[in-house]
Amino acid sequence: MEMYIDPHLHAVSRTTDDYEAMRKAGVVAIIEPAFWLGQPRTEVGSFKDYFSTLVGWERFRAKQFGIMHYCTIGLNSKEANNEALAEEVMELLPLFATKEGVVAIGEIGYDDQTAAEDKYYRLQLELAKEVELPVLIHTPHRDKKKGTTRSMDVSEEHGLAPHMVIVDHNNEETVKEVLDRGYWAAFTIYPHTKMGSDRMVEIVKKYGPERIIVDSAADWGISDPLAVPKTAALMRKHGIPEEHIRLTCYQNALTAYSQSGQMEESDWLNPEPIDQRLKHAGNSVLRGGQTPRVESSSDSVEN
Amino acid sequence: MSAHIVSQKAIDFLMELLSQQAASESIDWLKNQSQEISQSTKTMKLFLAFGKASKYFDKSSLQISEVLSRDAEKLRKGFTPSSWDKLQAARSILILSFPQQDEALWFKTINQLFETGDMQELKSLYAALPIYPFQDRLIDRAIEGLRTNMTLVFDAVALDNPYPSEFFDERAWNQMLIKSVFLQRPLFLIQHADKRSNENLASILIDYAHERWAAGRNVIPELWRYVAPFLNEYRIEDIKKAIKGENLLEKQAGLLACHHSTYPNAKKLLAEFPDIQKEIEAGKITWESIGKSFAESLIKN
Repeated sequence: MEMYIDPHLHAVSRTTDDYEAMRKAGVVAIIEPAFWLGQPRTEVGSFKDYFSTLVGWERFRAKQFGIMHYCTIGLNSKEANNEALAEEVMELLPLFATKEGVVAIGEIGYDDQTAAEDKYYRLQLELAKEVELPVLIHTPHRDKKKGTTRSMDVSEEHGLAPHMVIVDHNNEETVKEVLDRGYWAAFTIYPHTKMGSDRMVEIVKKYGPERIIVDSAADWGISDPLAVPKTAALMRKHGIPEEHIRLTCYQNALTAYSQSGQMEESDWLNPEPIDQRLKHAGNSVLRGGQTPRVESSSDSVEN
Repeated sequence: MSAHIVSQKAIDFLMELLSQQAASESIDWLKNQSQEISQSTKTMKLFLAFGKASKYFDKSSLQISEVLSRDAEKLRKGFTPSSWDKLQAARSILILSFPQQDEALWFKTINQLFETGDMQELKSLYAALPIYPFQDRLIDRAIEGLRTNMTLVFDAVALDNPYPSEFFDERAWNQMLIKSVFLQRPLFLIQHADKRSNENLASILIDYAHERWAAGRNVIPELWRYVAPFLNEYRIEDIKKAIKGENLLEKQAGLLACHHSTYPNAKKLLAEFPDIQKEIEAGKITWESIGKSFAESLIKN
């Protein structure tokens, strides 16, 4: 069966049905970038617990469905505009940046392209250098083209190598420059608006598979956690070579994020021998009487 | 032994163990970090090293000889590093290195680690409870660890750990036991479980067995261990029910409970199964053998 990686998915907003469907469709690993929650947080403690969820519970939850979960840690651009809070969040970041399964600093960058956004974007680029992690850039949805260029300019100003930076939410207008400058170009597939699977097929036809990454960015909004496997299926239908599908829907994400030293193929191909005791587990997400779908190493517990 | 001395001895002990089974560069890094952490009340050094430790130590099992296991026991009664991995040994050294003179600072620091820990970090933090200073002030923390839904974190408190049996009151102890039963954990790894068995626990476990049976499900065979000291004319009927089925482990467990009971009718029931009785008396059927077989059956299914 084909294997896919969805390198951008906000799993905290998704149900166990989604996890099950993803696994069935061949998704073996996901990356959950730290982002906002649809409304701004007002206390630093909310960030702390959110980050804890990303490195703890959500990782555990995903595994119960046979999916390896990784995350990126960062202060998103929207919430960077609350400067008092942003200062406190910045103090938290080093604490989480070095945790297991944290594969990048992100998603960071610009939203409104304000001075505050610029300040915390730069500070986090410095943090990424210090902890030797890749960076995931969220490009703005408004004034996208200029915002994307600016994101790369500033990243270079801070001395980050393009191969350590993944630029996300690209479209036909931004992709050429991003690729030409040596960055990873990620595309978020949205079901109705913005970037759709059909357009993605055309982009891969035009630019080839090198450094192009497909993701779903599925979250609490209208989005599709199966966007990666569905796009792969569409590429197949349009005769895109199998190797190009493998690169754009699996390997490129792995190559880019494995630069963190926190993610490798063997994580899901040959899971490390877990604590012997773990294998004895009962079930949590699985309530009484149901049979686990994943093999018995699943260490789920009842709520 | 004072808390401070226990911590220092635990550091030396774990360092010695790790030195025999980790790369020398990793040990150098650890010694260096431990030294620096011990000399400052600034917390960032500890926080960063605690996270970074995974780059220097893997999660393979800590190898420990029988002689050294006995040393661990001398260091701290019930201390069982044989169930640890290398990474958690390294992380424990880092925590124990942090200055302990200022109790409030120590708690503030360790609480922050608990509140921001990833799964593996939480496992380390909870498993090291018995070698921390301020033992009697960690009870709420230990109980909090049992509220988790992450099995490996739960295990770090409940299994191979002397802390709960020493510090939990009956209510907290019973909650831990019931949740362990519920999660089908290997109960034989709970320390001093017989000593802490009690009538209330037996009663709750019997109710639980009835619920499971009503739902057409089996109960974990080790459950009967905690009912054994409190068998009476009603509960013997439950044992009879448990041993009636096809499942050999349940039969063995029910009869082993009879063996350990002083209730006369339990002895009578056991005598009806001379084959199993013989094996029990020969030490071939124990709670550990039952627990292990049950765990294996879970893996197979």
